[in-house]
Amino acid sequence: MSGGDKQGIMKAGVGVYFCSCGTNISENIDIDELVRFTSTLDTVEYVKSHNLLCSEEGKNYLAEDIIKQKPDRVVIAACTPKEHEKTFRNVLQKAGLNPYLFQMVNLREQVAWATSDKSSATEKAKSYIRAAVARVALQEPLEEREIDCNTDVLVIGAGPAGMEAALLLAKAGRKVYLVEKNSFIGGRVARYEEVFPKMECASCMMEPKMDEVLHHENIELLTCSEVQEVLGFLGNFVVRVRKKAGYVDKNKCIGCGACYDQCPVTVKNEFDYNLSDRKAIHVPYTGALPNVPVIDCMSCLRFEGRSDVYKQALDQGLITKREYETFKAEDCRLCKEACLFDAINYEDKDEVIEREVGGIVVATGFELFDPSVLPQFGYGVYPEVYTSLEFERILSQTGPTCGKLLMKDGREPESVAIIHCVGSRDKDFKDYCSGVCCLYALKFARLVEKHAPSVKVYDFYADWCVPGKDNQAFLDSIKKWKNIKFIHTTLPMNVPVKKRNGKLSLACTDVSNGKHVVSADMVVLCPAMVPAKDTARLSELLLIARGKEGFFAEGHTKLAPVSTNMEGIFIAGCSQGPKDIQGSVAQAAAAAGEVLSALVPGRKLKLDVLTAEIDENACAECRICIGLCPYNAIVLDKEKNVAVVNTVLCKGCGTCVAACPSGSARSRHFTTEQIFAEIEGVLK
Amino acid sequence: MAKPKVAFYWCASCGGCEESIIDLAENILKVIEAVEFVIFPVAMDFKMKDVEALHDREIAVSFINGGIRTEEQEHMAKLLRKKSGIVVAYGACAHLGGTPGLANFFNRDMIFDYVYRKAPSVENPHNITPKPRTAVKQGDLTLPKFYDTVFTLDQVIDVDYYLPGCAPPPDLIMKAIEAILSGNLPPKGSVLAPDKSLCHTCKRKPTKPEKAIIKEIRRVHEVLLDPDRCFLDQGIICMGPATRDGCGERCINANMPCRGCFGSTSRVEDQGAKFLSALASVIDANDENEIRKITASIVDPAGVFYFYSLPASMLRRRRNIANE
Repeated sequence: MSGGDKQGIMKAGVGVYFCSCGTNISENIDIDELVRFTSTLDTVEYVKSHNLLCSEEGKNYLAEDIIKQKPDRVVIAACTPKEHEKTFRNVLQKAGLNPYLFQMVNLREQVAWATSDKSSATEKAKSYIRAAVARVALQEPLEEREIDCNTDVLVIGAGPAGMEAALLLAKAGRKVYLVEKNSFIGGRVARYEEVFPKMECASCMMEPKMDEVLHHENIELLTCSEVQEVLGFLGNFVVRVRKKAGYVDKNKCIGCGACYDQCPVTVKNEFDYNLSDRKAIHVPYTGALPNVPVIDCMSCLRFEGRSDVYKQALDQGLITKREYETFKAEDCRLCKEACLFDAINYEDKDEVIEREVGGIVVATGFELFDPSVLPQFGYGVYPEVYTSLEFERILSQTGPTCGKLLMKDGREPESVAIIHCVGSRDKDFKDYCSGVCCLYALKFARLVEKHAPSVKVYDFYADWCVPGKDNQAFLDSIKKWKNIKFIHTTLPMNVPVKKRNGKLSLACTDVSNGKHVVSADMVVLCPAMVPAKDTARLSELLLIARGKEGFFAEGHTKLAPVSTNMEGIFIAGCSQGPKDIQGSVAQAAAAAGEVLSALVPGRKLKLDVLTAEIDENACAECRICIGLCPYNAIVLDKEKNVAVVNTVLCKGCGTCVAACPSGSARSRHFTTEQIFAEIEGVLK
Repeated sequence: MAKPKVAFYWCASCGGCEESIIDLAENILKVIEAVEFVIFPVAMDFKMKDVEALHDREIAVSFINGGIRTEEQEHMAKLLRKKSGIVVAYGACAHLGGTPGLANFFNRDMIFDYVYRKAPSVENPHNITPKPRTAVKQGDLTLPKFYDTVFTLDQVIDVDYYLPGCAPPPDLIMKAIEAILSGNLPPKGSVLAPDKSLCHTCKRKPTKPEKAIIKEIRRVHEVLLDPDRCFLDQGIICMGPATRDGCGERCINANMPCRGCFGSTSRVEDQGAKFLSALASVIDANDENEIRKITASIVDPAGVFYFYSLPASMLRRRRNIANE
């Protein structure tokens, strides 16, 4: 406001150093003229120039000269601060001057290299110098701070990526908390029979890893668990994990299975995508690890899940009070009675577990695009249409058909059609290629050949996406099988599935304009991979960004593929984007490496100096700033009735400072006065 | 000892500031006892020549209200400056330009055109508008020149203190007078009011949520206002967060939102811009179209955010239409 309360500008003895940067700067700027001009500025005590200040000789000169001249503040006109601000701050520190009583002027990139005419470049340089000299007078000494850091790690998701990261970190001596929302580990891969391209047995491949995860002394595995809250920052996170009650004591249970044989409740098994049944107390599949059953309280007769349903029914008047009492009192104890080891505990409760960690690896995997939104494929209408994951289960020894190629009605199909790119590479749905569907489609063909060699396979594809050193050979080998027919369409999305005379019929035109009508007993869709359901929730909780397709966004596409916008939080596997197991495991190893490099036991973490602060004598507690902070660094002090910046969490982004309507929040090193002084210096 | 001399003067103002002295109620007697008035247009009959006759700095303190928009006001302000030890910019208009300062969205010609020609209540067949000099047979008639721009007092003369408000509330007036009489004064340039924002004392503060709150912006006549709930939380623009405390929440207590007459705190350069920045920060939408829809619902945003402070702001006035 023009009205009132102006502070006087501090007097300061400023030393100004010009660097010619070899000839990079002096070639296009008249340094002598700049030196003359700068000497005329009010607060400038002395002006010097040097040929190359960032050289060892230059740095020594600078340090010695500062010790000799004892300036209050220093301006260095050289290259971009991105390159050497840190260098010169260190020199100042060595020379006994606070490194924040220093302003750098970018004469090289912003002037010498950008403005071609020497005299206008010199004039432009003058305005920059004036700005820096005006600004530096208002700068304040700032102290760097360090804090201890925790080197334990939270890994979210126990699929191939999460397990790999957890194991690598555990082997390096880090304590790892591995949180898995399911009762079992292994992720999607636990559902596969064999994996491409070498047709390796998936369970043989994964089980040793899973076993290691279960038994590693540095890994605390939390199954049936979800991360609920994460506070803090690199080196100092506090996480709260809700561990759902499983009602079976894992220390007593030996996994004999006597309990689920006795359970009277049968429901659909979601692990098999409802293609099989399970009991209320169950393991999702034979061989699941950890081999400890859990009670699904939503279907168990005695649990709250059900009594909630009854309560709701009572509230809605669907059942009488008496019926409600009867249902509620239902006291089935069959599983407990069947257990010889007294492992069943109906009193088990959800618990919230709090852990402190220094870093987080997120490996929450993927789901499939729901093909029922594409009516042309008849998924959900014709029972003979399956998704790829459902088909994986049918082919699995532990699946609903024990690995026999049988459809829901128990028949063996005579022909199977596989459709690629369902919901993929299409602007209206998912515009990306998931990169693995071609390969697992080939795997399906190979498994059909193995399980039921007489079955005919039709493969509707658009382009082959089979990069890498083994995959082309895999494709070529399958092309030799006489029972497979490849149909090259421009767009598999345009291959409608219809039912004719009890059989599915697929019609399309191929790229050479040939018409195809294929009759098939069974259709397998290869839908796009999409982020797991929890991705959005976790993104809010962890404050990590997502890309437009909903996967977690990497720090840099090429150079920081497992970093996120949050220091100390890394991503791996399909939560970052569609990929195969190999890619997921490689990313997991990268993320583990990032954690090991970022958090070293005994090493302290430097905190940001340039944070925001709120003047507690000025803040009126208007609360505008609190919800804005992207780092949750501002809280209300309920005693003083002011907003307070936690300078450990604050990254100095300045959002609160811009928004603070009473001007009570300020950015260290970027105060309003400093910025205005700079602007006025440029414009004078 | 002679009583200290005091001047009250009005410039571009409504007269409410001069009246506000009357709000002192029985305290006015103490004031009258303690000082001698040398000019006080609303209450006493002094002339300009009475002021001109005084020695330089003979007036202890001049309270000048209103912005400066005519030649005569500028002249009087400068005269009083010369004759006074202390000058206090009294009230929002002298301090910030005030509501008359909204005229800076126009120029003199646009104002005259409307006021003397186009306004529905005007009949002006001879197209007469005020002129600085008009010849009649008895001689020349003069009027002070009317400027294109309304200025704050401190844009025209050096100001020692500011007493904010539309009009300043009695407690602050009394405190200011006592401070001046006792010589117990803060640093020159101070605004004689607390330096926190209005939310500090607002009774409705506990109802204000911590997270982004505004989903739609409404005007006071469009809703039944909850007398206890934060106005911003009701989607009503309240300048309180960006406005200096000290008014006693007269508007808030009457269930009307703050419009910002006290100006910003000392730490803020531009009240309207700062409020805009704060408001933009609490609009609860992430979709650009939705944000556009919400912000489009602010009627006359410049007039709302700069209700009192346009001449004092960094904008000062609409640039491309100034005649001089």
